[in-house]
Amino acid sequence: MKQNNNKPLTLALPKGRLMEDVSNFFKQKGLDFSFDNRKLVSFDKSGSLKIFLVKNSDLPTYVNHGIAGLGICGSDVLYESGYKFFNLMTFDFGGTTMCISGKKGHKPSGEERKLSVATKFTKFTNDYFHKKGLPVEIIKLNGSVELAPVLGLTPYIVDLVETGNTLKANNLEVLEKLEDIKVHLIANPAYYKLHFKSIKKIVDLLKGN
Amino acid sequence: MGTETIYIEDAYKHRQADQELGKLFTSWGYLPVETPVFDFFDIYQDFIPVEKDIYRLIDREGDLLMLRSDITLFLAKQMGLSLKNNDLPVRVCYSGTILRHQNREDISKNEFFQTGVELIGKADLNADMEILMLLHSTFQTLEIKPVVHIGSRKLLNAATTNFNAKDKNEIISMIRYRDFDSLQSMFESKTDKNRVNFLINLFQFTGSIDELNKFILKSANPISNEEKAAMDELNTIMDNLNKLDSEDGFVVDLSEVGNQPYYTGIVFQGYIEGVDSAIVSGGRYDNLLGEFGFNTPSVGFSLLLRKIESQLGRKFSLPEYKTVKESNFIDSLKKAETIRKEGRIAIL
Repeated sequence: MKQNNNKPLTLALPKGRLMEDVSNFFKQKGLDFSFDNRKLVSFDKSGSLKIFLVKNSDLPTYVNHGIAGLGICGSDVLYESGYKFFNLMTFDFGGTTMCISGKKGHKPSGEERKLSVATKFTKFTNDYFHKKGLPVEIIKLNGSVELAPVLGLTPYIVDLVETGNTLKANNLEVLEKLEDIKVHLIANPAYYKLHFKSIKKIVDLLKGN
Repeated sequence: MGTETIYIEDAYKHRQADQELGKLFTSWGYLPVETPVFDFFDIYQDFIPVEKDIYRLIDREGDLLMLRSDITLFLAKQMGLSLKNNDLPVRVCYSGTILRHQNREDISKNEFFQTGVELIGKADLNADMEILMLLHSTFQTLEIKPVVHIGSRKLLNAATTNFNAKDKNEIISMIRYRDFDSLQSMFESKTDKNRVNFLINLFQFTGSIDELNKFILKSANPISNEEKAAMDELNTIMDNLNKLDSEDGFVVDLSEVGNQPYYTGIVFQGYIEGVDSAIVSGGRYDNLLGEFGFNTPSVGFSLLLRKIESQLGRKFSLPEYKTVKESNFIDSLKKAETIRKEGRIAIL
């Protein structure tokens, strides 16, 4: 069985908080790349990867459609997308926690008829409370979710918490950790099948010391 | 049935491909069958991997119905109810649309066109080979060069005898999506450590049959008689493909464990550059028809025809046509007739 090994593998990386970690990690493993000013496509120096910079929440879409065969993405974003991918590797960096938070000292008493929650992660929140059999009202926000309890939109929020500094600054606190979020190297299943040899090489390289 | 609109050039290509495949299947003795577009949901409930993916509706009497989501399944019920022993073996082919919910934004993405074959009533490896070689001919007819990854549900069944049905389904999903960290924890709950490592590496295996045999020898891990039987099957199949000079398009891939719950023997999926998911899937399912009243083995494949139409060879494209403009209608018609007799297209 022949596989085309000359063409670079395509990899989508998320713009934003993960980018620096990813690029340092890849550099350590000998896969050096950088993006010219405002460019969104680049190659690593060895020419084995063609790298796209995409918006974090759009990354699963690009990989699902095979535009990028591989991607690096947090499990929070993957879950929201609803798509199924191969999980080739879990990274040590970039981990965070999905938490439910609210105003200090305002824990739910358990007697509320339903929890009212603002979040970016509507699918996760819906499924999480649905599985527990707890009625929940979800209001979708696209950012600055901490404002919701401050301004009185909802008493609670479901959001990622890294340091907790934003919560503290807004007089909020974590009520419960819901799930650990990890960063994964994913592959479009069909793309993986067609390029498994070259993908295995890259994964072995990234997993090696 | 259908949510998708197909325009002239694409519709032509689609129909040509469907017709060419119909001719091919007939020449191998596979005769057409039609299955219902919808049926009672409860009949199929146990065989549907993800219930959310199918369209269900309620009829006037309040019964829950489902739209066809997999022709193999609807066909199995039809065959299970109507076949008798002296009909066997039976070779059938089909082509039609199915609906599976996969896209919220665009309902036309939820329609698929399945074209396929089933060989019913033969349990031996020759039947498996017949289906694989017919698949090979199907690719040649369509002038495409996909790669088929072959695995074995039989091997998976043999390796997971100590797990209950629910755990086994989870194992299948973990292997299919290459979630080997979760698989490791699952196996560790019921298997000793050496064997866990062996099984994890086994179900990750993709490569040639020689490489697989070397891996098994090297691992020095005793395999059960059932596991050996499944391995022997794969060996025979790959050996035959080799003798037929057809091994180029086939790879042994033990992470192929079948995308439907009803498989029992070999399972395979085909992939082609430029298409974002498997274009063909198939395998052996020896107990499915029995669930519908007539216990007989079966093997087949189904191809998602719309997915590969952008890759089809030139003979499927809309041919050039000639516009005839003589001085009067009768002359034009006569001229056009002579052009048509040469096998070309003439329009008036």
